[in-house]
Amino acid sequence: MVKKIFLLCFLVGSIHASVYKNNCVSCHEKMPVKIDKFFYRYLLKYSSEDALKNALIKYLKNPTKEKTILQEGLLNRFGVKEKTTLNDKDLKKAVDEYWEIYKIFGKLK
Amino acid sequence: MLKSWDTNLLQSEKKTLFSFFILYLIFIILLLSILGVMYYNFQKDLMLQKNRLELSYLANEQLLKLKDLHVNFDKNRVYPRDVRFNSAIYDSSKKEIFSTFSNKHIDFNEVIYMDEDKIYLIKEPESYYLGTKYLVLEVKSDSSWHKNVYKTLSIYGAGLFLLMVVFGYFLLRLLLKPMREAIELLDRFIKDTTHELNTPVNAIMSNIEMIDTNSLDEKLAKKIKRIDIGARTVSNLYQDLTYLTLAHKIVSNDEDVNLQEVIEERIEYFTLFAQSRKIDINCDLEENISLHIDRKKITKLIDNLLSNAVKYNKIKGTINIRLQDGYFEVHDSGRGIAQEKIDAMFERYTRADESVGGFGIGLSIVHMIAEEYTLHVKITSKEKKWTKVRVSW
Repeated sequence: MVKKIFLLCFLVGSIHASVYKNNCVSCHEKMPVKIDKFFYRYLLKYSSEDALKNALIKYLKNPTKEKTILQEGLLNRFGVKEKTTLNDKDLKKAVDEYWEIYKIFGKLK
Repeated sequence: MLKSWDTNLLQSEKKTLFSFFILYLIFIILLLSILGVMYYNFQKDLMLQKNRLELSYLANEQLLKLKDLHVNFDKNRVYPRDVRFNSAIYDSSKKEIFSTFSNKHIDFNEVIYMDEDKIYLIKEPESYYLGTKYLVLEVKSDSSWHKNVYKTLSIYGAGLFLLMVVFGYFLLRLLLKPMREAIELLDRFIKDTTHELNTPVNAIMSNIEMIDTNSLDEKLAKKIKRIDIGARTVSNLYQDLTYLTLAHKIVSNDEDVNLQEVIEERIEYFTLFAQSRKIDINCDLEENISLHIDRKKITKLIDNLLSNAVKYNKIKGTINIRLQDGYFEVHDSGRGIAQEKIDAMFERYTRADESVGGFGIGLSIVHMIAEEYTLHVKITSKEKKWTKVRVSW
């Protein structure tokens, strides 16, 4: 029983520790366009895992109008997002998790 | 047996021509192979280009389906399949996203290509639906073009090959022309010269025979002997040359010839010549050995061997003649023949020793006769010591 409680606590703790959920999903949830749509737009432009992650990290570190994949209408409505406050390590963690959740590999039947 | 020796070529020249012909054939085969490969590749490209348009159309159809899937990926995750083709999608790092075919080795540098019996088309969409940088279509190729290409290649290849061989033959004749002309010139010269020799030599020989040497004093008898030897040598030479130039007109009259008798008769004929050089002739002749052969020809063969044995012997030398069942040999104690020259000895106008007179036709005649009757002539020699010619059957 003690073990189970300990495991539960650990799991809850690890959820709380997800940089992606805390720092990305939390904001995007409130937006009319869901976070997965951004992923597919990135995929449409960058194709591979490395290219997508690099482009995303580059954008998050220094978001500009030129680099965004946002459609013009949305860009006018929401504007360019602010620079990330995450350090490189956390940013990479968040992007990696984002990739793992929405990647196409292994999902097609 | 009829022979055309007037235009026959020497052994080494034949070898050169044979090498030339082999080289020419290799060159033709190589050339035709290159042309064949070029034609095959050209036809393959043509076939691929014909397929390219249709495959591009199918690829565009597939891209539209991928686009649809990309947009609705949260609702549908079934990869679009088509009975007309197999397909695969790859991201920009050439990592496979999904594939409906088994071939994992795709050549991304090509737009369309063949691998075994499959045709592959690689399409790069403008937008990477589902991350697709490369859409690969695989269709089975129609093998009828293969058959047509091979048919055309074999018909035209064989035709061209034959044409080139005929061309090569005429080229060879063109190359041979000066060589033939040179040999014909020499043959004609010898023919003309020998013709003029016949009458005076016969006159000398018949007149010597009529002289009774016993009634002459010793000095004069010696001189007459020398004239006799000289006349016989010229007569021999005349016969050799006649044989060589008229060989194709001589019809063999084969009979069973007792070799012991012939050899003894020819030794007697050469005794005078041998005595003049103080050469000792030893015989070891087995009796009752006969060959089915033209008498004149075997006489000519023996004459030439004996004549050489005397001519190329040293003063006070020896000649050992042996006749056994299956062979006879003439072994002299002469100046010998260098090892490297032995092979060329049977060629006309070849002489091992230029210091002694002659045309270099003696062994050529031996070779001709031996070849006609499938006799095997083997020369062994030690330079400056001895020469042994063995004729076996």
